[in-house]
Amino acid sequence: MFGKKKQVSANQNLGVSYWDIVKRQFGKNRVAVWSLYFFYFLVVVAFAADFIANEKPYYCQYKGATYFPLFRGIAVDFGLANWQPEFAQADWVNMEYESAIFPPITYSPTTIDIVNSPFIGPFAAQDIKPGRRKHLIGTDQIGRDVCAGMIHGTRIALMVGVLSMSISSIIGIFLGALSGYYGDERLQVSRGRIILNILFLFFAWFYAFQVRSYAMTDALAEGFMPYIIQWFISIFLFLAIMAIPNVLSIIFKKIPYFGFRIAVPVDIIIMRAIEVINSIPILLLILSLVAVLKKPSITWVMVIIGLTGWTGIAKYVRAELLRVRSLEYIEAAQSLGFSEWRIIFRHALPNSLTPVLITIAFGIASAILVESSLSFLGIGVQAELQTWGKLLSEAREDVSAWWLAVFPGLAIFVTVTIFNLIGEGLTDALDPRLKQ
Amino acid sequence: MFPYILKRFLYFIPTFIVISLITFLLSQMAPGDPVELKLKGGMQSANQQASDKLAGEKAYLDLSEKYGRQLPAFYFSITSSAEPDTLYKITRKADRESLARLIGMYGNWPLISHYYYAVRNLELAILSLPEDPASFEARKIIRDNCNILYINYDDNEIENILKQTQALVDASVTDSQQVSHKPLAAITGIFADVKTSYEKVKQEKTPSANYIPAIHWYGTGNQYHRWLFGDVPWFGPNTDITKHARGFFRLDFGTSYVDDRQVSSIIRDSLRWTLLLSLIVVILEYLISIPSGVILAIRSNSLFDKVYTIFLFICYSLPVVWIGTLLITFLTSDYYGDKLNLFPPYGLGKVGDEFGFWERVVDRGYHFILPVFTIALGSFAYMSRQMRGAMLSVIRQDYIRTAFAKGLPPNKVFWKHAFRNSLLPIITIFSSLLPAMIGGAVIIEYMFNIPGMGRVSYDAVVQRDYPVLFTILLFSALLTMLGNLLADILYVMVDPRISFNKKM
Repeated sequence: MFGKKKQVSANQNLGVSYWDIVKRQFGKNRVAVWSLYFFYFLVVVAFAADFIANEKPYYCQYKGATYFPLFRGIAVDFGLANWQPEFAQADWVNMEYESAIFPPITYSPTTIDIVNSPFIGPFAAQDIKPGRRKHLIGTDQIGRDVCAGMIHGTRIALMVGVLSMSISSIIGIFLGALSGYYGDERLQVSRGRIILNILFLFFAWFYAFQVRSYAMTDALAEGFMPYIIQWFISIFLFLAIMAIPNVLSIIFKKIPYFGFRIAVPVDIIIMRAIEVINSIPILLLILSLVAVLKKPSITWVMVIIGLTGWTGIAKYVRAELLRVRSLEYIEAAQSLGFSEWRIIFRHALPNSLTPVLITIAFGIASAILVESSLSFLGIGVQAELQTWGKLLSEAREDVSAWWLAVFPGLAIFVTVTIFNLIGEGLTDALDPRLKQ
Repeated sequence: MFPYILKRFLYFIPTFIVISLITFLLSQMAPGDPVELKLKGGMQSANQQASDKLAGEKAYLDLSEKYGRQLPAFYFSITSSAEPDTLYKITRKADRESLARLIGMYGNWPLISHYYYAVRNLELAILSLPEDPASFEARKIIRDNCNILYINYDDNEIENILKQTQALVDASVTDSQQVSHKPLAAITGIFADVKTSYEKVKQEKTPSANYIPAIHWYGTGNQYHRWLFGDVPWFGPNTDITKHARGFFRLDFGTSYVDDRQVSSIIRDSLRWTLLLSLIVVILEYLISIPSGVILAIRSNSLFDKVYTIFLFICYSLPVVWIGTLLITFLTSDYYGDKLNLFPPYGLGKVGDEFGFWERVVDRGYHFILPVFTIALGSFAYMSRQMRGAMLSVIRQDYIRTAFAKGLPPNKVFWKHAFRNSLLPIITIFSSLLPAMIGGAVIIEYMFNIPGMGRVSYDAVVQRDYPVLFTILLFSALLTMLGNLLADILYVMVDPRISFNKKM
């Protein structure tokens, strides 16, 4: 508390904070700023996808009554409402509305327009029902609207990028911080604690995972969320059991033999783990992981990309913490007797997180690339889902479908490019050599 | 120098062990029973006689032995004390899993095992009954029920099936029309055994045994050991004919689930194409990107540099999938005009001895233009940018200024003094290029239908051919690690300033 207040007032005296400098430097890079705006635009598209491209009208008059099917549909998807009986089996495309207001794109990504299939291009003659609009950039083999698919694909692409990078960041920042702050010598642990921890690790693993393995496999068969919940229960149990040896070791320490302090080579262990993951070609690793799943889905793909993509962030944080830990204010915190965790997470980490933004920006770009490659190969993505990579792969079915080859790929390219540009902009903004 | 290499090599070992453990864990997690899948073709159909049933089991056991799946998985296992250490000896994966479930629910293995063998006896008894058209239907149902019992652990379902079977047996025994011979009378006793043993399992359950851990030690006769080291002795003749695996380190990777081919031969055939492709790409990349990076750095901040940097940035961001698809769409057919039909869309071109050597080389080159271009574009851009950066940071250094100051011609300064030192980062790129090559090969080879490692691993994923997939995984990890090792050693050799002795 004390330290933080002081810091704020010091910044006020100078008039500019570190963030202000970064922002100003970033603002000077016009391309990066425009990329950021484009990113906001993509986020809006992703959130509003259902309102932009949907086969259901916003509003319609049907058999004398007024309905708002699109909004109702979203409520139904969230489990908040049920369909009116007359719409339970509704065929939205062929229904006769008395009047209706449609979204800009009058098709859902899953709407199958058999009349306009296979592969009807944007400039070809299209047989469009009254009230519906033209297929802006054509249809695919079974008559699905490519534009609608691309708009909904935005959501998936961004979700993959953001979610997998969140997972990566959490793991990477945590491990990187440990590795950088403690190095190989700084983590001194009493011998008793190590022995007890190893002993209890066995029990914790047994009770948290081995005994509960059937509960977990059953949950996995149910779906992704129950499985995650079971995982959390297991992890909680694991941590609870692991708390025991750490309490016990306070007593154990009194015995001289067990009280002897040994340095744990945290850095070596974490760097070896990074080397292990970096040694396996990432796409091949993800392919193998997807191959052993019984029911692969896009959520799994996100998790797997996240679990394999943390090494870059960890290396970055480690390097930053190596620098920060020898600064004077950390020494001051140590001499004040703050706990190690508090020093790492309250004092050292916040000062070294900004450069991580760069890795995250590039990481999102590569996560989107990996996901599009996977769905291009048709691996790990459910059949009913339209993603950019999958649309692109449909171009392989027919050479004449140039719109499938051009537009989805362009979407991937533009998205990857803006994240790379944001990353470049951040690199320039955070580079201390450029700071005046 | 030598201690460094030795140290680096020692670090190599634990990394490899961890990677092999990860790969092995994945292969154990893989769903489905390959032996079962493999046998589905011939064994299950004519399974009406007891001898057929036994023959089927024998075939299952033989195939399990061939894949080494009858062995325990690892050197040791940590289980609950309720689970016997010999559970792995139940060869059928589905049976084993449902038995493990029963143990998890009731925790009394001897009784469960009794129940399992009672079901087995029932099935064999049914099969050995004399042929009889009247009871054909009932016998078939009971047999199917037995097969359901093997793989079921849900109490309700088991009870239902037992009830259904009981009804069948009762009906046959009490049926007035069949007084003369009661075909199912012979099995009533055996079936009663199944029922009582199941009741007993439920009554005398000891689920608490599931909460006591136990460690079992299996020694080197396990699947992991067999996979890496094989079960044939390393030295001396092989006396045991049931042992034939030579292990990963002796380049025996097992056989494919799909077509029984040696995985080593699949890899040998496919590695050729991937290596050829990668080699062409790497050579082209170094030839183009090093000079272009240097020239960009020399002319930094000129218009040429700015335009070219933007161009490189775009190339770097271009997704391989997109470029490949565009090239295939527009340049490989005459749909968009005869002039654009420039390249073959996929394949290797002329293969086989009937074509002359040079004819094949030329045709292969022709087929490789598009794939090489597609892979090279991205990494060429990346490398040029790296080279430019490295050269720029060298040019800013004092010794270059000194070289200029003493009046050396610029070309000599750049190419003789600066160039050498700027090459260092390129060496590290070399090591990161390798995994990217193998990973990238999956997409390129899939798109252009080149039968390399990438294509093979894609097929292995789709067909769930795990021996091939996991061998490629481990193999490529090994290649990457060797590449890293080589790069590190080169680094020390090229730059004597770097001392790794203190800390690597």
